[in-house]
Amino acid sequence: MKLWLFATYLLATASHAIQVTDDRGVLVTLTQSPLRIVSLLPSLTETVCELGRCDRLVGVDRYSNYPDSVQKLVQVGGGLDPNIEAIVALKPDVVLMAKSSRAVERLEALGLKVVTLEPKTHGDVQRVMLKIGALLKVPDAQRIWRDIDAGVSAAARSLPPSARGLRVYFEVNQGPYAASESSFIGETLSRFGVSNIVPAKLGPFPKLNPEFVVRANPALIMVSQSNANGLQTRPGWHSMRALREGRLCVFSTQETNVIVSPGPRMAEAARLMAQCIARKGADALTGVKP
Amino acid sequence: MSVANHVAMQAQAISANLGSVEVLHSINLSLAGGRWTSIVGPNGAGKSTLLKVLAGVLPYTGDVTLLGQAVHQLPKRVRARQLAWLGQNETSADDLSVWDVAMLGRLPHQAWLAGPSTQDQAAVEQALRSTQAWEWRHRALGQLSGGERQRVLLARALAVQAQVLLMDEPLTNLDPPHQADWLDIVHALVAQGTTVVSVLHEVNMALHADAVVVMANGQVRHHGPCKDAHTHRVIEQVFENRIAIRQLDDQWVALPRRSTWPF
Amino acid sequence: MRQRVGWLVWLGMVSAVVLTGLGVCVGSTGFEDLLSPLLSPLIEPSQTAVAEQIVWEIRLPRTLGAWAAGALLGLAGAVAQGLFRNPLADPYLLGSASGASMGVAMALAVMGGGAGMLGSAESDGSSANLVVSVFSSSLWMRVGLTGAAFCGALLAVLLTLSLSRGVGHTLRLLLAGVVVGVVLGAMTHLVLLMSPDSLQAMQAFILGSTAFVGWTSTLLMAGVWCLCVVTAWLLARVLDGLSLGDATAISLGLPVAAMRATLVAVLALATGTAVAQTGLIAFVGLAAPHLVRSLVKTTYGNLMLLSSLAGGTLLMAADILARGLIAPQELPVGVLTAVLGGGYLLWLMHRGPNRVAGANS
Repeated sequence: MKLWLFATYLLATASHAIQVTDDRGVLVTLTQSPLRIVSLLPSLTETVCELGRCDRLVGVDRYSNYPDSVQKLVQVGGGLDPNIEAIVALKPDVVLMAKSSRAVERLEALGLKVVTLEPKTHGDVQRVMLKIGALLKVPDAQRIWRDIDAGVSAAARSLPPSARGLRVYFEVNQGPYAASESSFIGETLSRFGVSNIVPAKLGPFPKLNPEFVVRANPALIMVSQSNANGLQTRPGWHSMRALREGRLCVFSTQETNVIVSPGPRMAEAARLMAQCIARKGADALTGVKP
Repeated sequence: MSVANHVAMQAQAISANLGSVEVLHSINLSLAGGRWTSIVGPNGAGKSTLLKVLAGVLPYTGDVTLLGQAVHQLPKRVRARQLAWLGQNETSADDLSVWDVAMLGRLPHQAWLAGPSTQDQAAVEQALRSTQAWEWRHRALGQLSGGERQRVLLARALAVQAQVLLMDEPLTNLDPPHQADWLDIVHALVAQGTTVVSVLHEVNMALHADAVVVMANGQVRHHGPCKDAHTHRVIEQVFENRIAIRQLDDQWVALPRRSTWPF
Repeated sequence: MRQRVGWLVWLGMVSAVVLTGLGVCVGSTGFEDLLSPLLSPLIEPSQTAVAEQIVWEIRLPRTLGAWAAGALLGLAGAVAQGLFRNPLADPYLLGSASGASMGVAMALAVMGGGAGMLGSAESDGSSANLVVSVFSSSLWMRVGLTGAAFCGALLAVLLTLSLSRGVGHTLRLLLAGVVVGVVLGAMTHLVLLMSPDSLQAMQAFILGSTAFVGWTSTLLMAGVWCLCVVTAWLLARVLDGLSLGDATAISLGLPVAAMRATLVAVLALATGTAVAQTGLIAFVGLAAPHLVRSLVKTTYGNLMLLSSLAGGTLLMAADILARGLIAPQELPVGVLTAVLGGGYLLWLMHRGPNRVAGANS
């Protein structure tokens, strides 16, 4: 009888074991769903919370600031320079982080379970969400993802027909570094049906010759507030349509953070961009190269 | 040529420090014009320091007069035209040509933006010829041997054509023929009325001068004519009697005295 | 030697003109001949209009600006090497590079809304505004990155001067410059740590970029260059005298301390201006004097003028390559100056150790 109970117990625990293959290709096995989680990447923090398991987070990196509840958690350094001692002191069941950090080996050597995930594309966001969902045994992870995806589609539908094929330029940083079609932002813009002047073959965030932008003459320029200064004074830019007609989408720093980082807030990011495109890009002629 | 009897330079109560150590202790000195005075003494006596003080390139307490005028009241360029100083080698002008380096000696005479005048060119040519450096005046300083370099630096000092010429160890790296040449140059300058003061550690060469200043421990022990027997005794004493000054062929030479103790 | 100097000056000017022509033809579409439509405007008027706008507003100021920045850096390099009597000296030795970086990092951090600097921002809340108002962000906006870089460079040099208590001792000046450079560099990293969004923009600054150089920048740099070259030319004699040694220079009646201070001012102004407009372009200041010395040995007056021309040509060539190699993307121009300048020096050293300046005794 006892043997029978013991075997059932073993089987029961075995069925609780979770296995997840992370971005390094490592198969991480946990005996049960983690109750104490440390996250070292803002998008992973947001994913955990989006899946409704925010209460399991015990520590986050200093850049995770959404949702507001995580700001009360212990901060354990940055994603690239985490505070190893602080993480170990929290006794986490699993540490979620990006794979491009040297701390991964260190934490594993100290006996912690590390799952490295990093969403970079739309497809990644889904993949990461489902993986974390499996890790945390969230039954409706798929539905949550579908809701987010639907949000993006809704944002796309909200655009007026005149926005189709609108030539758009998204500047990510001074340089100028632009977001091409193959970047995360570029994917969202493609779903909107607008035309990104920066082709995918240049890589996701190419450093462009500003002359290129002038010649491409986009109808709409999207930029963050901190980089918006001095656009008019750039040589040759004042003659561009977008600047002459004031078709400039300037996002605040908070908004830029949401838009630029791939993560579960992509629906919100899409809404922000769509709102601006509808407002500023409306009734612009779908520009052709002069 | 007339022998000038004036005092070219006068130092009164000169004290100078190197770092925190006092190197010259209240020195009084009067240097006759139109003569060659050499300064001798053991290592660390303060000879170079004294020369630098006289040249005005080292801070000091006390008074120095040059040709009757207080040095600190003279404008820098006026002083530079009247007094030339040749220091121990601290140059890094490896890329400049020999001619360019010698021309730098004419700086006190040149107006701020002016190029070299014919006077400057003549002075430089004369200086380079007298040190036998004229033939290779286009070579870069960095390509010369030690002795050739020294001759160029000497030419630089000669090019100033100053009334007072102070030289610190001018014979560094010079081989005997050129050391003899240097003697000729100095005698020719003195004959013209230039006052020459040299710091030399080679006592033999120093004894060719008209007068000698003997220094030890930051003070002047003796200042007298080179041919004087008393001067010779003081020199021997200052060098701890490790040299003996004898006459040979109408010149005074300092012979090293080997230690009598067996080692 | 005199003829060689004249010949090199002509070479410098001719190559500047040729490279300007080339620079006008290279852009975001790689190489395209825009000179013909410009020179013979009647053949294809529509082409001419395009060419005019692109060339006049974008490519020409940028090419000339690259020359002016290179000329400033080349001049500053020659002055630095003369001041410190050290062939390894570069214009950034007095800490101006780190000062400029610090200024830019702070400007980027503040312009980023100050949120990053707090670590955990309460979305546009009161404390974020407090930080921003402490640094008076509207002032920063007006001053911009250019102003921040320039002021940073000058303040760093002033700090170096106060640390070394004047320009009397070259060695102390050098040490103070190195210390200030290191300390400000560390502080820059700290600022960047607190506002990681600025990292990409900071990198663009550190690697140097002529991307946004327009007519204002170019004319400003050209003006400063004229001023610096004239001043440096006037003081060339002092530099030559200094190369004989400090004491000898004093004995020659040169007002060494005053002129050294002026040269430091020239160095700071030239470097600060170049860095403010184009970021930290490495190697031009170091390499240009050596390039000149490999061709002719001469006094400082000629050396400084020739270094200017060499630096201008070097940076112009590097800028053209930066634009043209992977058009429409751009390489950081600092990488190309290192490749071009460093490559030439490597070749020199390979050809024979006697070619590079050094004593043979």
